[in-house]
Amino acid sequence: MAQELKSINLVAPAFKGVNTEDSPLAQDPSFAEIADNAVIDKRGRIAARKGHTVVTTNKTVLGTDSLRAIKEFKDNAGNTKIFSVGNNKIISGTTTLVDETPGSYTITADNWKLVTFNDKIYFFQRGYQPLVYDNAGGSVITLSSVSGAAGVTSAMYGNEVLAAYGRLWTADFSSNKSTIYWSDLLIGHDWSGGTSGSIDISKVWPDGYDEIVALAAHNGLLIIFGKHSIVAYQGAEAPATMTLSDTVSGVGCVDRDTVQYTGTDVLFLSHTGLKSFGRTIQEKSMPISSLSGNITKDIIAALQNETQFFRSVYSPEEGFYLLTFTGQDVTYCFDVRGTLENGSYRVTRWPSTKFTSYTRLEDGTLHVGTINGISTYTGYSDNGSGYRFKYYSPSLTFGDSARIKILKKLKPTLVGANNSVVFMKWAYDFDTTYATTEFTVGTQITGFYGESEYTTVEFTGGQLTNQRSLNTTGYGTSVQVGLESEIDGSPLSLQEINVMALIGKLL
Amino acid sequence: MNEDLDIGLPPEMMGILSAGIGGSNPIMAATNALNTGGGFFSDIFGSLGDIASAVSPAIPAIAGSLLTSEAYDRLSDIGEQSILGTTVGGVRVPGAMEIAERGQAESQFRPFTVTTGTGGQFGTRVTPTGEIATTMMTSPQEQALQQQLFGGAGQFFGQAQAPTTTREQQIFERMRAAQRPEEERQRLALEERLAAQGRLGTSSAAYGGATPEQLAMATAQEEARTRSMLGAMQQAQAEQAQQAALGQQLLGASYLPQAQLLAATQPAQRMAELQQQAQLFGTGLFGETAMSGLESRMLLEQARANLLGGIGSNILAGMFTPQVTQSGTVLDPGGFGNIGEIIEGVGSGLGGLFGSIFGDD
Repeated sequence: MAQELKSINLVAPAFKGVNTEDSPLAQDPSFAEIADNAVIDKRGRIAARKGHTVVTTNKTVLGTDSLRAIKEFKDNAGNTKIFSVGNNKIISGTTTLVDETPGSYTITADNWKLVTFNDKIYFFQRGYQPLVYDNAGGSVITLSSVSGAAGVTSAMYGNEVLAAYGRLWTADFSSNKSTIYWSDLLIGHDWSGGTSGSIDISKVWPDGYDEIVALAAHNGLLIIFGKHSIVAYQGAEAPATMTLSDTVSGVGCVDRDTVQYTGTDVLFLSHTGLKSFGRTIQEKSMPISSLSGNITKDIIAALQNETQFFRSVYSPEEGFYLLTFTGQDVTYCFDVRGTLENGSYRVTRWPSTKFTSYTRLEDGTLHVGTINGISTYTGYSDNGSGYRFKYYSPSLTFGDSARIKILKKLKPTLVGANNSVVFMKWAYDFDTTYATTEFTVGTQITGFYGESEYTTVEFTGGQLTNQRSLNTTGYGTSVQVGLESEIDGSPLSLQEINVMALIGKLL
Repeated sequence: MNEDLDIGLPPEMMGILSAGIGGSNPIMAATNALNTGGGFFSDIFGSLGDIASAVSPAIPAIAGSLLTSEAYDRLSDIGEQSILGTTVGGVRVPGAMEIAERGQAESQFRPFTVTTGTGGQFGTRVTPTGEIATTMMTSPQEQALQQQLFGGAGQFFGQAQAPTTTREQQIFERMRAAQRPEEERQRLALEERLAAQGRLGTSSAAYGGATPEQLAMATAQEEARTRSMLGAMQQAQAEQAQQAALGQQLLGASYLPQAQLLAATQPAQRMAELQQQAQLFGTGLFGETAMSGLESRMLLEQARANLLGGIGSNILAGMFTPQVTQSGTVLDPGGFGNIGEIIEGVGSGLGGLFGSIFGDD
């Protein structure tokens, strides 16, 4: 007598993103073992990320280097200008990159941080005299050459700079890792007069010693990130009288460029993963939630292997926080729209994007820096080239890990994926050799009345949903299901996968 | 001697005067007596007789002249005696000089010595140059005390004259030493407070490279330092004034034994003044008395000289008055008569006199 097929419906698979921390057998099917070049779309489905479109047409000044930082400058008069750094140059423009490096100013590193403050944009990098640009001057100049500049000495050539509370703050110097300097009020080039000053927090570190990595301003606090601890000061509007508000030991920040503001929180990468400050005004303590709890080991491994820069960006429009390890060319995409039960963000991974810098413009446009110059995060191809979307489920036991499962059918439901070739994969018992079957999604372009009607396109009323039923082979106690597709121009979302299996005998 | 003519002349003068007046000529008598002796003396007296014979008509004139001369001499003697003094009746009558010298001697300052009950002595003496010198000597105890007080005064004056900077620094250091513990406590408290607030390393240009609290504390401490400095200056100056006052007091006290000695001499000095006054009064009385007697004698002697001079004048006046009878016969024309005969007789007499003396006989 034929046995009844048992159906496991993976609704919105990978809805919870990647989870490499929990045992695959015990995992919720909503997690994914692999979710590459994927995001969680607006409907909570795993979907292919957007690609990027290169804006730059002339990148001569960049040469073969990549853009290491991008920043939009905008002053009160409405003047805007895009600045970027790369190839040991200060660069402006988007379509044609223009070298803005001051004459007789030699740059040998591109680890700049750019901040806008009081109608000026400032460039800070450890060991380099800060640079400044404003629309009136029209060119990038050294900070000391600004009229009225004071106190611009090598002691304040910091790697970190923060524009907050009406001042510039800088820290992380070549030989001083515990001092923060702040400028005079609203005067970013006066570092020795007015109400400028400094604070040495070497006696404040909760663990006795630490080094300042990054600064942040949030909720009236000046947050000082060390490598292994965090110190928060309140009353930073008057730095001379600001007082210690809270300290956190054991958690620090890996790199200044991992700090991003989400409006209600501050995200940063620590040695144990992505962290955030909870907004706890009424609480005395400052709890820190782990946002990368599902990929902690992966993050730590990436941290340990990174040899270049960390880059990050927060995009409220896309609802994600991107964290890129440029040396390993891998980006983690954290969906910031909500957290899971364990307080983690849903995370996906973007490998081999070649993204080396980001900035979000005031209009919400996300600019991406690559070897090709400045790109816009849009479309579904990487400047005309496709990229592989991957989804792999955790190992599924169908509720009984002791019995053999004989996979019969896979019924994926896809949204979009116009003319894409989709590869469905499965494997048993943690085998990394997957059986594959493929199918091509038909034309999914929406037809409109009077335009390609009834001719080359199917008559559709919106984005198309494609559901297939694919036969499968083999058996095992656990089954892992995957889906891959080359994204090259069209979006793809995975609505669900219905796995039909026959439950066999006990082993 | 004719008592009526006793006007104090010597007897020989009175003889000449009597011969002239009474017609008896002692010169002539003497000449005659000599002439009677013969020989050398008879020659001499013969010659003198010739001279006397020749000048006998001039005897009244001579007598008058002598009297006048005597009166003149007496007036001169009286003047001299008034200066030098004389002896009257065996009693020495001092002259004006002698009286003055005696008065000066009698009015000389007489040194005296005062000895106080504490052993101090005040003495006076007249130096060989006539100056009055005083000597004061306090007792050994007083001298010791005086030396002690002098030393103290010198010490205080020395301190008062010394620059106050060193003393100011000493006072300032003592004041600061009193302030430092509290300042240190405040500093530590602030340090702890700043450390608790995580602001120990805060440096603000607006607050002199520190926190407002540190600046406030530094300002307060600096103000305290300034006040201490000013206080130290004032204290040093007050001490300087005090030392000067103490020096003044000790100096004044050091002269107290001397002042007391001088005060003790006041009654003695009064007594000396009284003695001096009495001495001066007696001297003045003596001088006045002596001078009044001397003046009386001078007046009397002057009257006697005037009388004698008047007599001489009268004799001379009588000699030159012609004697005329009632009938108008001139018995004597007055004057010296034949001057040629007188000169001849005198010349003859002098010739015989010198011939007798110096002749070959």
